[in-house]
Formats: sequence, C-alpha cells, structure tokens
Amino acid sequence: MKRPIVLLLAAVVLLPLLVRPVIATEIWIFAIFGLGLNLLLGYTGMLSFGQSTFFGSAAYVAGWLLKHYAINVFLALGIGVGVGAASAALVGYLCVQRSGLYFIMLTFALNQMFYFIAYQWTSVTGGEDGMPGIPRPALAGIDFSNPLVYYCFVAALFLGALWVMRRIVESPLGRILQAIRENPVRAEAVGYDVPRFKLLAFVIGGAFSGLAGVLYAMLFGIVPLEAIGFVFSGNVLFATLIGGSGSLYGPVIGSFVFIWLSESVSTLWARWPLLLGVAFVIVVLFLRGGVVEAWSRFWTWRSSKPKA
Amino acid sequence: MAILETQSLTKAFGALTAVNGVSLAVEAGTLHSIIGPNGAGKTTLFNLLTGTFAPSAGRILYDGRDITGTPASRVAHLGLARSYQRTSVFPAFSLYDNVWTAAFATGASWGGLLWRPADRYPEVDERARRALADVGLAERSGQPAREISHGEQRQLELAIALAAAPRVLLLDEPAAGLSPEETRRMVALVRALKGRYTIVLIEHKMDIIMSVSDRISVMHFGSLIAEGTPAEIQRNPEVRRAYLGGMAA
Repeated sequence: MKRPIVLLLAAVVLLPLLVRPVIATEIWIFAIFGLGLNLLLGYTGMLSFGQSTFFGSAAYVAGWLLKHYAINVFLALGIGVGVGAASAALVGYLCVQRSGLYFIMLTFALNQMFYFIAYQWTSVTGGEDGMPGIPRPALAGIDFSNPLVYYCFVAALFLGALWVMRRIVESPLGRILQAIRENPVRAEAVGYDVPRFKLLAFVIGGAFSGLAGVLYAMLFGIVPLEAIGFVFSGNVLFATLIGGSGSLYGPVIGSFVFIWLSESVSTLWARWPLLLGVAFVIVVLFLRGGVVEAWSRFWTWRSSKPKA
Repeated sequence: MAILETQSLTKAFGALTAVNGVSLAVEAGTLHSIIGPNGAGKTTLFNLLTGTFAPSAGRILYDGRDITGTPASRVAHLGLARSYQRTSVFPAFSLYDNVWTAAFATGASWGGLLWRPADRYPEVDERARRALADVGLAERSGQPAREISHGEQRQLELAIALAAAPRVLLLDEPAAGLSPEETRRMVALVRALKGRYTIVLIEHKMDIIMSVSDRISVMHFGSLIAEGTPAEIQRNPEVRRAYLGGMAA
C-alpha cells in the first residue's frame, strides 16, 4: 500500500517538469473525473456513458457564478460538487431502474438531453462558442493565475480526492457496491436495497465529476460545449478502461496515458486517436485489467524468473 | 405458535398458476419440509416468502405480522434468510467477504457506512467467522469463492444465510448436485442447525426428508395436497400417486 503513495507523490512533483503545467494540471483533473466514474464502472459494475452530464453541469453553474458574481474559489468548488451530486441524483434515479444495455442507453440519452439544453441556452452557456471569461480569483493572497500555483492547488485537491475515494472503497459501502457488481440478486436477498445503493454510487461519482468540472473550467478559463458532450463521457471511459477499472489507481494511470497521448502526440500526428483505438483493442482483448494488470503481470513474471 | 404462516397464497405467471391457494403454518423451532415433483411450485413459494415476487393473492404472516408485499431487501432484516437451489454467491469475493457482506447487512448498526474501514466492525467480523465455522469452511476463509469445489460452494451458500443471524432459515435443496459423501455431510449440518433455527427445507431426496423433518407438506401442481409427520406422509395414498404416477395406487 505504501509504494503507490510514494510513486504518486513523485509523479506530482515531477510531472510539471516533464510536460507543460497546463497539461500536468489537466491530467490530475481528468484523474478526479475518472475516480468518480470508476466507483460506478469498476466497483459497482455500472457502465455509465454519461459522466460529462455532471462534469459539464457543474462547470457551467460554477463558471457562471465565478464570472458574474466573482465568488470565492472554494465556494465555487463546493457548488460544483453539489451540482455534480444533484445532477447525478436526478440522472441516477432514472437510470438505476434498468440494467444492462438499457441502463447504458439511458445514461447516454440523458447526457444528450443535457447537451442540447446547453447547446440551445446560448444566453447563459454561449452555445457552441462555450462560456468564456471564467476567472481564477486569488485567495488569501495566493495568485491562482500563475499556472504552477494552480497546478499545486489542483494536485493537492487530487490527492485529497484520492484519499476520500480510498476511504469510501475500503468502507462497508465499497464492499456492498462490489457485492452488487458480483451478484445483485444475492445482494438484494441478504438485505441491501440495490437500486438505492446504485443511486448512492451515482451521487458520489457525480460529486467527483463536479469537482473535476469546476477545476477544468478554471484551468482553461472557458466551459466549452464539449465539456457536457458524449465525447467527453467516452474519453473518461476510455481512459479508465485503459488504466484499469479493477483498481483504485487505474483511472489515475489512464488519465495520465490519455491526456499525455492526446496533448503530446496530437501535435506530431493528427491521426493520434488511431493509437488510442489500438490501445483500447489490446486492453479489451488481452488485458481486461488495463495498465495496472500489465504492470502486476510484469512483476510476477520478473519475480518468477530464476536469478542468473 | 406458527412463526411463519401463509393464507391462500397464490402466484400466477400469465396462464400458469405456479402457487395456488397455499395455506401453510410453520411452527417455531421445527424443521418443516416441502416436497413435491419438479415444477410443483416449491421454489416459487420460497420466492414469495422472501419477497422476491409479490403474490397475486393471499397473505404471508411472520411472527404474527402481515409481511405480504415486503421487498426482498427488507425481508432479510426481519429475520428470514434463504439459500438458493442454484448456488448464488459473490464469486470474486473471498469466502470471508461473502459471509461478511451478509453479516453486515443485518448487523446492529450501519454507522460509518461510507467512512469506517470495513475491517473495524468486530461484531460483524465475529458473526462472519462463526458462520464459516458452522459450515466447516473456517480454514478456507481467504480463498476466492470461485475457486472452491461445488460441494464447498453449497456449504458457503448455507453460510451466507447463517451469517444474517436469522430466526427462520429457508433452504432450497441444500444437497443439490452433491456426491453421496457430501450429501451425508450436508445432512449432518442441517441436523446440527435444527433446533437453533426454524428451518423450512425444500428437498428431493426422500431419505433425507424422512430422517430430518418434523413436519412435511407436499405440493403438486402449485397446490398443497397433504401435510403431516413423515410417517403420515409415507402412508398417504395421494402422495404416493403424485410421486409414482399412479402405479402404486
């Protein structure tokens, strides 16, 4: 348990030296987004194809308040978490009534509904142009407009979010959600109201998505329409699957791989999503546990090799 | 006094009436078996008793209270626990986590549900360990459920029901698919549980039924056709006709 923490802290320190601070910041934001999704996907076994609903809603609401009322950064984050959780409660309530393919299609359809509201409501969201001009107000003399300062702030919030998620998955709730993934019928029979627990997972996942959404809006100073679109929902899903949905750290690694590929390789080669597609096919066919599983297989293989 | 009672309980699936006007009373502390040919409606009756299905008509009384229509997740909290004919466990979980999950559900308190580490519930831990020990799986507690043998999975199936600390155990063919040796062990286990719990047992193997039951109810095409002690049931001509297709009648 100690080693991942040390590796993570090293990554937090080294990342801004390797890539531009904006990219480094985006990696941790996307990781928070992935943590929220993975509570649904990896732990509860619910494939949500609509996570950007919560990400985008929080970004719009908090962004709007930041822009027009210059609210405090922490208040903005708190509101984002609240909006993420509330929108997830609404969407989740409708989705948990169904399972399997119908569940996935419902998350997708409701995502599209939110997208079209954002698209049409141009006076608030700016429609296709997005909602620009979102400030990063200074707090207690700390100037967040400095990219490195903002990076440190986001990295600290990410570590906090990771700690909270670890507590949650190691709590009874974490075990109950996994029991629902393993066998919903028996989970119900031993005394758990399965739809209600699924809804709780949605709300927690939505809160994480909301936090990520507000940080994202403040990072780029704009809420683009894509932030609430299905491509974003797909991206976080890809990233989490590539990293490994079976473990707590999978989405973090997935976020690193996904953002790094999309930002660094895309400048060299416009067809970079092809690489992503290949990576995805490999994961689905050979490595269901993603990068995390590849890593642990590598270590098993190394330690099983007789020392020369 | 009857701890579990049904009054004209009926369940219809379209044109098929799987359970038809069943009135049954299970006395507290007894082992009450339900027998009948395949498709007689025994498992459907269990599904009604545990709230998996809502009945089309009739009532279910538990401890004098009307629990008709109570959903499955609530029924478990009332003190009714079931095991399944087709093994239904949490495959990726260790045996310990399997019974822990059931023990926590009906534990004294869900305080710290989102926050307290799952290994800091001593009362739940003790109940989980006892359930595994009761069925003789204490030494395998760390092993994933998908890796143990079919016979051991049947024992785990029972342990999950026991971990809920129920008053009434509903056992749906606990010896299904077991070898003669495993069956002997399962019968010994059920016999050991007798008296500690009120047990309702569905079983096909007549020798088991006749040796462990206090009372037997016989179902045929969804209806109860006889009830009595094992000796009375063995003499009953209608039961013999249902089982032997009229040849012995």
